[in-house]
Order: sequence, then C-alpha cells, then structure tokens
Amino acid sequence: MQGIHLFDLASRQAEWLSVRQATVSGNVANANTPGFKARDVEPFHDVLAQSQLTMAATNPKHQEIDASGIAATALRKDAVTEQNHSKNTVNLEMEMVKSGEINREFALNTSIVKAFHRMMMSSVKG
Amino acid sequence: MSDPLQAALKVAASGLSAQSTRLRIVSENLANAQSTGKTAGSDPYRRKTVSFATELDRTTGVETVRIAEVGKDTSAFVEEYEPSHPAADTRGYVKYPNVSMVVEMADMREANRSYEANLQVVKQARELIAMTVDLLRNS
Repeated sequence: MQGIHLFDLASRQAEWLSVRQATVSGNVANANTPGFKARDVEPFHDVLAQSQLTMAATNPKHQEIDASGIAATALRKDAVTEQNHSKNTVNLEMEMVKSGEINREFALNTSIVKAFHRMMMSSVKG
Repeated sequence: MSDPLQAALKVAASGLSAQSTRLRIVSENLANAQSTGKTAGSDPYRRKTVSFATELDRTTGVETVRIAEVGKDTSAFVEEYEPSHPAADTRGYVKYPNVSMVVEMADMREANRSYEANLQVVKQARELIAMTVDLLRNS
C-alpha cells in the first residue's frame, strides 16, 4: 500500500509547512518587539528522521500531549542576519522569502496529492 | 489540537492590531504637534511613545504581540519667544510639544511597512488554506 504511505507523508509535510507558516507569522508580528529573537522550525528531513515519541499515560489524570502540531515540531533560533539596536533579530525580507518558499512547497504538495488521488480514483472506477 | 494555519492568522491579526495602535499614537502626536498649555507657563502636550511585547498564546502555542505600554517621551520641550501668547511664562517664552515631524514620519513609515508585512502573512495563510480546501474540489 505505497499510495497510502504517500498520503501520510504528504499530510506530515503539509502539517510541517503550516507550523512553519505560523512561525513566520510570529516573527513578522514581533518584528518591532524589543529583544525578540527570530525563530524557525527544524528542517523537514530532520522531523522525518526522528521517530515520533508519545508519552505513555499511566494515570487517567495525565493530560494528553498532541503527537503532531506545534508541540511536536521543535523550534530553533533562526540564523541572525541582522540585529537592530533593540536586540530584535527579525529580518522582514527573509521572512517574506520564507513565506514564498512555504507557498511553493505547499502548492507542490497539494498538486501531488491531487494527482495521486486522481490515479487512485481512476484505478478504482476503472 | 489547534490548526497551525489558524494560529498563523491569529498571530498576524495581533500584529495588525499592534501596528494600527502604533499608527494611532503617531497620529495623536502629529495632531498635537502645536498644542500648547492653556495657562501661563503650563506644560504643552507631551509626545507619546509605544512599545511592544511578546505574549505566548497558550491555546495555540505561538507568540503573539501586544502593546506593552504607551509611555511618555520625557525629552525637553521646545521653547519659543512669543510674549503675546496666552501660554507664555513670565519671561515671554511658550513651551511647544517635544514632537518632531521627521521622527513621527519615520515611525509612520515603519508602522506602515510592518502592517503590510502582517497583511502579506494573512494573505499567504489564506492561500494555503484555500489550496487545502481545493483538494476536495473537482476530484
């Protein structure tokens, strides 16, 4: 069932891209906050390489921690390209570049999913 | 679990509101650039400053921005010799606000630029959501 595996992979990448978009949006919103350090998410191949660890709930009172989403995607400090006098390291131009990258990758991702879905549908319908 | 794209929209919205507050403060400063005191020797309008702070949004886990405080610029007032002015002190000097047009214009442009960047993020997030929804269409 390799087709199904592709859908899983595609949805994980879409999830990662959305988290990255949320991070970019946090950076842009805090572009004028004194002392704010720009962030970025770990590269996708690193996220893919690490096995998903979920916490075992040994007590019914334990709170469930999301296996996916922002909690699972590690954030790291972005490379400092500029720093202004109030110790803010957000570079708006770099954020726009990142945002464009996310858009492109997301478009590619959804196109591939669409193509695979069409292939599956044509094999099912005959 | 919350949707990261919804979180992105939320953060951008907080940025938009912070920058518009900043623009409001700039316009208050510009509007009152010539506001002197009413009585003789009294202080005129004092320039307002605005500062931002990061705030962790606990429901989505992302960092939004908020207005930390609207402060006062403590720099000295501009004094001009106008003995006939109702706000002139005993020496004939009138205190004018410590508002500099150039500084306010620069601040305005900066706020405008940041606002546009936030708006761009909103557009981007909406596009990503639309792309996902389009998967359901014509398939």
